[in-house]
Amino acid sequence: MVQSKAKEIKALNLVLLGLSALSIGAAVWAVASDRFKAGTDDVFLVLVCLMLALLFAVPPLIWAHANGMLKNPFADEAAEGGAAMETEAGHAEHGGSNRENVIVWGALLALTAIEVFLAYIQINATLMLIILMGASIIKAALIVAYFMHLKFERLSLILTIVPTIVILLCLFAILFPDSFRLHDLRPAQPVQHVEHEG
Amino acid sequence: MAEARAESLAANDWGGGVHPYRVGHRKLGMWLFIMSDTLTFGALLVAYSYARAASVNWPTPFPFAPSIIFSTTMTLVLLSSSLTMVFAVAASKRGKRGAARKWIFATMVLGLTFVVLHGMEWSHLIGEGLTPFELPAEWAEAWPGASPLFGSTFFGITGLHMFHVLTGVIYLGVVAARIKKLNDDVEVAGLYWHFVDLVWMFVFPLIYLLSVDYHGVIK
Repeated sequence: MVQSKAKEIKALNLVLLGLSALSIGAAVWAVASDRFKAGTDDVFLVLVCLMLALLFAVPPLIWAHANGMLKNPFADEAAEGGAAMETEAGHAEHGGSNRENVIVWGALLALTAIEVFLAYIQINATLMLIILMGASIIKAALIVAYFMHLKFERLSLILTIVPTIVILLCLFAILFPDSFRLHDLRPAQPVQHVEHEG
Repeated sequence: MAEARAESLAANDWGGGVHPYRVGHRKLGMWLFIMSDTLTFGALLVAYSYARAASVNWPTPFPFAPSIIFSTTMTLVLLSSSLTMVFAVAASKRGKRGAARKWIFATMVLGLTFVVLHGMEWSHLIGEGLTPFELPAEWAEAWPGASPLFGSTFFGITGLHMFHVLTGVIYLGVVAARIKKLNDDVEVAGLYWHFVDLVWMFVFPLIYLLSVDYHGVIK
C-alpha cells in the first residue's frame, strides 16, 4: 500500500515537472519567435511563463530533496532532527536579541529618513518611484525577518509564505501595461465634459 | 510503537502531523490571515497605482511642511510601536507577564497616537473640501483634468489601514487583559501588529511621498 502511494506521488511529481518544462518551452518560444513587437505585454508573457514553470517545479523539487535526490544547499536544515533550537512544543524559541531588534528599528528609521530626504530634494519621478519601492521592499523584508521572527522559523514556513506572496504580487503587476496604454491613448487636451445624469 | 509514529509524523514538515511547520495552530492561522490581507492591500495599492499611471493629471497636494513632516511623524510613531511590540513578545517569552503587559500598553498608546494624528490629517483634508468622489474646487483648478479618484484612493487605502490599526489596538487590549494564560497569544498579536506597520511602509511612500507639493500650488 505504501509502495503504490509512493508510486502515485512520484508520478504526480513527474507530471508537474513536465508542466514546468512545457512552461519554460512556452517562454523560450515567445522569445525565439521574436514576439517583442507589442512592447511590455510580451515581456510579461515571458515572465508569466517563467513564473508558472517555477510554481510547477517546486513540489517535484521538494519531493526530490525529501528523497535525498538533491544535494542539500541549505546546510543548517540538515540538522533535521536536531533538538537544539526547539522546546517541547517544537517552537523555534531563539529570536533576535534586544540589541539586534533595536538595530533593525534604527535601520528602518534610517531608510525612512532617506526616503523623506529624497522627497525633500525632489528628484526625477521615475527614479523616485524605483528607489522608494526598493527601500520599502527592504523595510518590509527587515520587518518580516526580524520583528515577525520569520528568519528564525523553519525553512518550510518561509518557503510557504514568501514565494506565494511575491508571485501573486507579480501577477497583480501584469496589469500595468494596460494603464500605460490607457494613458497614451487619451486625447491630448482635456476634453470638455458633457453633463450626464449620473 | 505509537510514539515512534507520532515522532515520524512530527518530523516531516510537509507531512502535516502534530505541529505543521512547528508553529502551532494559532501562529499558522495568523500567518495565513496575514497572507490574505497582504493581497487585499496589494490589490488596493496596485489599483491606486494603475489609476494614477492611467491619468493625465493627479493632485500632489502635500507640501513638505507641514504635511510630509506630519506624516513622517506618524511613520515614526508606528515604527516605534513595532519596537515596543517586539519587546512585549520577548518579555512574554521569558515569562515576565508584568513587563509584557507594560510593553503592550506602550504599543497601544503609540497605536492610538497614530490614529489620532491620522484623524487630524483627515479632518484637515475634509475641511479643504476633499471627498471620496470629488476634488476641492481649488485643486481642480490647480491640476486641470486631474482625476477625482485621488479622494477615493486616499480615503479608501488610509481608511482601511486606520481600521486595521484600531482593530489591532482593541485586539492588543484583549491580549493584555488575558495575559495570565501562558500561550503564544502575545506573539500572534505581535505578528498582526507588525503586519499593520509593514503595510504603512508601502502606503506612506506611495501615497504621501509621491504626492509632494513642490510648487506651493495650494495656499
